[in-house]
Amino acid sequence: MKRMMTALAVVLACGTGAAAAADLRMSWWGGDSRHAATQAALKACGEKHGHTIQPEFTGWSGHQEKVATQLAGGTEADIMQINWPWLPLFSLEGDGFADLKAFADIIDLSQWSKAQLDSATVNGRLNGLPVSTTGRVFFFNKATFDKAGLPLPSDWGELIAAAAVFKEKLGEDYYPFDAQGGDGLGAILNVSLVTTQMTGKDLVDPETNTVAWTPEELQKGIEFNQNLAEKGVIRGWKTVAAGGNVSLFELPAWSEGKIAGSYEWDSTYKKFNDPIAEGSLVPVDILTVDGAVTQGVYRKPSMLFSISRNSENPRAAAQIVNCLLNEPEGINALGDTRGIPASRIAAQTLAESGAIDPNLLQAHKIVMEAEGPTVSPFNEHPDVREIFADTLEAVAYGQISAAEAAQEIVDGVNDVLAGF
Amino acid sequence: MMGGESRYLGLAYVAPYIAGLFVFTAIPFVASLYLSFTDYNLMRPPRWAGIDNYVELFTRDRTFRKSLTVTLLYVFMTVPLKLAFALFIAYILNYRLKFINLFRTAYYVPSILGGSIAVAVLWRYIFADAGLVNMLITAFGGEPVNWFGDPSNALFTITLLRLWQFGSAMVIFLAALQSIDKTLYEAAAIDGAGKWHTFFHITLPLITPVIFFNLIMQMVQAFQEFNGPYVITEGGPLKSTYLLPLYIYEEAFKKFDMGYASAIAWVLFVIIMVLTLIAFWSSRHWVYYAGDKRS
Repeated sequence: MKRMMTALAVVLACGTGAAAAADLRMSWWGGDSRHAATQAALKACGEKHGHTIQPEFTGWSGHQEKVATQLAGGTEADIMQINWPWLPLFSLEGDGFADLKAFADIIDLSQWSKAQLDSATVNGRLNGLPVSTTGRVFFFNKATFDKAGLPLPSDWGELIAAAAVFKEKLGEDYYPFDAQGGDGLGAILNVSLVTTQMTGKDLVDPETNTVAWTPEELQKGIEFNQNLAEKGVIRGWKTVAAGGNVSLFELPAWSEGKIAGSYEWDSTYKKFNDPIAEGSLVPVDILTVDGAVTQGVYRKPSMLFSISRNSENPRAAAQIVNCLLNEPEGINALGDTRGIPASRIAAQTLAESGAIDPNLLQAHKIVMEAEGPTVSPFNEHPDVREIFADTLEAVAYGQISAAEAAQEIVDGVNDVLAGF
Repeated sequence: MMGGESRYLGLAYVAPYIAGLFVFTAIPFVASLYLSFTDYNLMRPPRWAGIDNYVELFTRDRTFRKSLTVTLLYVFMTVPLKLAFALFIAYILNYRLKFINLFRTAYYVPSILGGSIAVAVLWRYIFADAGLVNMLITAFGGEPVNWFGDPSNALFTITLLRLWQFGSAMVIFLAALQSIDKTLYEAAAIDGAGKWHTFFHITLPLITPVIFFNLIMQMVQAFQEFNGPYVITEGGPLKSTYLLPLYIYEEAFKKFDMGYASAIAWVLFVIIMVLTLIAFWSSRHWVYYAGDKRS
């Protein structure tokens, strides 16, 4: 009789969708504040739902390699923080992660807009939930602009004009902006932004899955970026390389205000602002070129929480994901350590409690209110990035012309896209 | 004759090593050969691709050609310089100077630090545009040098990092120098041989086995260099420090093209093997072993 009652209880429990106490794992990348907040959130959510969650966290560097190796071996964590551009790499057919629509009875999907959920959907399968939406925004060091007697720029023309004033009043080693060198990301994003503003199109045409820009259009974007280096608005590629492989925010020139602006993810505001010795960074509206068709905002889901397709306890994992993103225990513990939350209830909860840095809020507002074509994840495909970086570097070193570079990029990216 | 129990005990002692050898070396070694003939992106099972990866490498891949050239240049520049420098320092440290043990330890310290990330980061700061080296150059009235930003300087700067870690080769040279019979030097001195003459006709021939050993070891290590260029320049500028191990790493773990990365790794392996075989073959003509009749 006792056995029958137990069996009945199990059947009823399964039938109502409850998840038995489970041992789970969750992996993510980030900095110290995110690590501490996430561990606290997992503890709170675990206690609430009766599960234990083993944390697995690292810095950004090497995390993608770790996740790839785990996915290949089927040893990935039950819950994973996934970078949005990884979806074509890890889940080309949409079956790389569990379909979260299957857990709609546990996760409150109504907290995300259709567009947000679509961005995380591959082949009709919801591969993850957007944790936050991020975008590139212009930050400027107000103290340096004040010293030069200039207001913060509101368009590219003012920024370019600022370079001459900087050199004259502050010194030859002062730059109002930075977008070059290293892994080439700054230059790539700058060229992409300007070309998008001039054409109104993203790099990839979603209809044909080919490059949307003509070589002539891209050439103008490349020349624009080159012009910035020639006029001393940004450091030249060679100058940046002379400092070795160092991030912008680690440079003394950045903390001293000698490099007085950059175009970065809004969610990284704190990282770039913390080293500033005098005053603080101010986010401004996206600068546009003359005759711009669009602001061309580069906006995307910054990261997703996904559930492993191999998880033995997917329903328990879904409970924890919902708690982290939609329930007060998770929301308050995580705070703004992953940017402004994409979940409506989380954003509202944090806004009401005043837990969000006002500058971060302002930067995020700029990103969310700006307009532009939908950004394809192929913009961040490693092969596409490599083609852009190598070619723009060759232009910067005078090895090829902007016209040749534009043709090489269009051909190279089309070759990559043809494989999908 | 060894008893049964002792034999099993011996096997038990070596079992962890044998297991490690299989799991971490032998099986991956064979697996990588198989993978080099496949299209494998980690997420899907490997798909047989025949010799496609190798055809792509040798016919269309400009990055591979550039990376191979840079790697060979790096090895041919680093190995002779490092051997010469290590021998030079060992020769000096072979004299009976005051505090000689302190000097010997001090010169070995860089090798204890090895090719670690911390040393590479230190190197990045020393040779940066506003780093220590340029500060010294400008203090003496010179023009600062763009060590990392100029493609013609960047590889040389990475080479210096490897040269600086000359300690292990130096210690081996020092041991060889100390094992040379002193009576040979005394006989040479009586015959009126000068220092250069003694060095080239007594010292050098007698340490050729050690030179040969160091040559092989340093060459293999140089082909595998990763930390320095990865941390300091990330292979740039214009791929002037993009050694083959960096290319293998990026193909495997940035693009997840494991098949292609395995093919590059095998080409690198064959190059190292061929050069090692050439070194062994040539050693018959220049390496002298005591008691060897050919000597």
